[in-house]
Amino acid sequence: MKRTFALVTALILGNATLAAAQDGDLVSQGKYLATAGDCAACHTADGGKPFAGGKAIATPIGNIVASNITPSKQDGIGSWTEQDFARALRRGVRKDGANLYPAMPYTSYAKLTDEDVRALYIYFMKGVKPVDRASKKTELPFPFSVRASMMGWNLLFLDHKTFTPDPSKSAEWNRGAYLAGALAHCSTCHTPRNALMAEKSGELMAGASLGTWYAPNITSDKDHGIGTWSQAEIGSYLSTGRNGAGSQAGGPMLEAIDKSLSKLKPADIKALAVYVKSLPAKAGTAAPGQTGAAALLHDDIALNNGTASAGETLYDSSCATCHGANGQGGHGLPALLRNAAVRRPTADNVSMTILTGLHPTDGQVMPPFAGRLNDAQVATLTNFVFKQFGDAGVQTTAARVTQLRNGGAPSPLLAIAQYGVIAAGVVILLVILALLAWGISRRRRTA
Amino acid sequence: MADTLSADVIVVGAGLVAALTARKLALAGKSVVMLEAGPMIERDQIVQNFRRSAWKGDDDKPYPNSKFAPFPDYTPEDNGYLEQLGPYPYPAMYLRVVGGTTWHWAAQAWRLVPNAFRLKSAYDVGRDWPISYEDLEPFYHEAEVLWGVSGPDEMAQYSPRSKPFPMPPVAQSFLSQTVVNRLKPQFEVLTNTTGRNSQPYDGRPQCCGNNNCMPICPIDAQYTGGSAVVQAQAAGVKVIPQAVVYKLDHDAQGKITAVHYYDWNKQSHKAVAETYVLGANALEIPKILFMSASDKFPNGLANNYDQVGRNLMDHPSSKCTFLADEPIWAGRGPQSPISIQQMRDGDFRKDHSAFRLDFSNGSQVTAVTEQGIKQGLTGDALDRFIRERAARQMSMKNVLEQLPDPDNRVMLSKTKKDALGLPTPAIAYSINDYVERGMDATHEVYQQIVELMGATEVRYSPKGKYSNNQHICGTLAMGDDEKTSVTDSTGRAHAHENLYMVSTGVMPTVATANSTLTASALGLRTAAAILGQV
Repeated sequence: MKRTFALVTALILGNATLAAAQDGDLVSQGKYLATAGDCAACHTADGGKPFAGGKAIATPIGNIVASNITPSKQDGIGSWTEQDFARALRRGVRKDGANLYPAMPYTSYAKLTDEDVRALYIYFMKGVKPVDRASKKTELPFPFSVRASMMGWNLLFLDHKTFTPDPSKSAEWNRGAYLAGALAHCSTCHTPRNALMAEKSGELMAGASLGTWYAPNITSDKDHGIGTWSQAEIGSYLSTGRNGAGSQAGGPMLEAIDKSLSKLKPADIKALAVYVKSLPAKAGTAAPGQTGAAALLHDDIALNNGTASAGETLYDSSCATCHGANGQGGHGLPALLRNAAVRRPTADNVSMTILTGLHPTDGQVMPPFAGRLNDAQVATLTNFVFKQFGDAGVQTTAARVTQLRNGGAPSPLLAIAQYGVIAAGVVILLVILALLAWGISRRRRTA
Repeated sequence: MADTLSADVIVVGAGLVAALTARKLALAGKSVVMLEAGPMIERDQIVQNFRRSAWKGDDDKPYPNSKFAPFPDYTPEDNGYLEQLGPYPYPAMYLRVVGGTTWHWAAQAWRLVPNAFRLKSAYDVGRDWPISYEDLEPFYHEAEVLWGVSGPDEMAQYSPRSKPFPMPPVAQSFLSQTVVNRLKPQFEVLTNTTGRNSQPYDGRPQCCGNNNCMPICPIDAQYTGGSAVVQAQAAGVKVIPQAVVYKLDHDAQGKITAVHYYDWNKQSHKAVAETYVLGANALEIPKILFMSASDKFPNGLANNYDQVGRNLMDHPSSKCTFLADEPIWAGRGPQSPISIQQMRDGDFRKDHSAFRLDFSNGSQVTAVTEQGIKQGLTGDALDRFIRERAARQMSMKNVLEQLPDPDNRVMLSKTKKDALGLPTPAIAYSINDYVERGMDATHEVYQQIVELMGATEVRYSPKGKYSNNQHICGTLAMGDDEKTSVTDSTGRAHAHENLYMVSTGVMPTVATANSTLTASALGLRTAAAILGQV
């Protein structure tokens, strides 16, 4: 219908108007795709102008600063052609030929169809206001400062294929797989990475640490994944951050839901849920699987006479009013007893939640306790919560909380890479020496 | 004398109003030190104390009451800190801790109505303020932004606003919705304007309805003196807890030259400054002024005309409890969420007290359980009784304006001393016919509401029996005439050019609104005056 209308309009008004009408459609389509891809998560700084960049993304090897992707000719991507744009999006290469770091999920965007890349391009050129302000430069330590080093990484880990539908699956499943793989880039966080920071293909969505927050196993494994969730629960979680059965989003997932997933069309959420529900079960890093005490906890006598444990005392003063004396929650505030967050292979998300609180755009905020509790207290409280309400085998330490407070443990990758460069240098030197020796001997022979 | 502390400004007391005043002065570049008699406290400790308290109905109970900075305590019996000289008791409740009494409150943030500032001119009763509503309006807004005040736009018909509330009103609980609808159209029941977040504000979360505003908001959704002290410290104000000020020195011209304070080891210290601000409780500031009596000022400082401590007021209030004809489920959301403003101003003020009518949303479980046990119920019968009654029982109260009366006053006790040897406050107090007639007018309104709510088992406070609301005003009244007031229109003592007072005590009338927002606005205006901006 729309096409017929456009055609008639074109016949009457000429091709320029047709192009404009098509562009208008593409702008809104591109805007939707940019939301689904959550471009703003990195490229719009908190309180900053849309897509003007400047947000520093913490990675194990240092901060990577998102660039200005507004159509500013001077500081953004205003002078880029659609081909330049497509190359950056799908191959991780800037207009000037420099490589992007894979904090930009171009390994996911490589799967985008040509039509969607075009829509995104038109949106960024015509639907986004240009902002003439350069974002800060990313300054990583050597050898990562050499952007060309990413060429080798891309050779190893970048799959150039755009998304190919699986004819054996439904259209809905294929839509979900496309959204999850090419746009929402779920695997960027949920798939564990190898020593070179590439996603392990055999462990798709099996759960991974982001350094601080832990992106849980979302495969259909019934014990370690979300195999017991119904498709409706997955859909509810994706659009609201709550599945109605003891799981609620925090940290970066909450941000992804607030800024991106909650704005997707119901049909797309359903497609995503169908796809996620079908993910092959992977055990991932399994939780110890010990059952929490879950007994009646609240003991006024112990609390009153001072014999209660330090954890129980902290829980009573800082948590119990909202989450219930026995972790039962209520009045729309989440129960901790058997909450998904206390059945993870690591205690990090609970410690992170205590430190930072939860700040949904639309919904009840949980206040942060970083300013009130020290690292030892956060660890004691985390351990109490796991022991009482979740997997008693999962515990943390004050030292780990210190790391979390400081943004995560330093990456071994840096050391490996720096040693690696020295090792590579030695090899190259030996090769050069060998070649020289060979050349000299050859010259001698021919002489 | 162990040491001498010096700063541009010394603020005595670290309650909400003192902290906001100190903050503003610090932001203007002054070095500011706040001396607080009580200890530093932490929210989680108070939550813990409350959760373990056997006296959950007493809001003071979770707070540490030290013999070095004692405050009134009535549970299980009166600790006698306030000497009652009668004829009517004035059982004030207040805290002496860093952050002050507003740690436990409903954070009500009504502005006064404009006529409250000109009671004498408009209705020939009480007294006029030396400033008008318009003078204070910008400072009201300044305070509201610092507090994070939420409220409905309709409130502006009573107290006009130049700018909207910082936040929309807090969501109405089931009780609020029900009462609003049942009383329509006879009464306009409005969501209260409060220092309570309806959305995240200033790093604090929105209210999630724990119904625990008093004695402590467990999640910091409610603005308190504790929040104000955090803001003051962020602005560079230095807070010294456990510093009990007991005397001010002056020079031959009456200019203040030093304050003396005891630490909790009974060591005396001295602090000097250019400017001194008394920001303590409205009963405690008069105490300091009296204790500072000298040859030049034999009746105490700022008291040349015997005005300090006089005109003591509060909002006497009486209660009506009833069972609604449907479950209204008191106990979720803020404890004091809605009220009727329509009787806060009018020609009737010539004859009787103006009043506000507040509906309580406090959980009824404890009260109902006590009733059931008193009736001898046990087991299932008691359970059923609690379920049935706790769902339907609710209460309302009036907040009556009391006129200033010089005979209502706080003095130094001649018989009682605290552990530091400092005299405790003694109070003479009475309630007159103006209030009694206001109570009669309230009764008519009570009866209309009772009817509209289909109420049964209606119980009223006994005639002539009133509760305090802890809105302690008048003892440091501001005015243009030094013979009838303690402070001038900027809060400066008439008799001492570098001594200011920021407290509910400077309010010359108590009006029909809880006093802290108005005192905050006045404190911010006093800070502006100290900075030469008024």
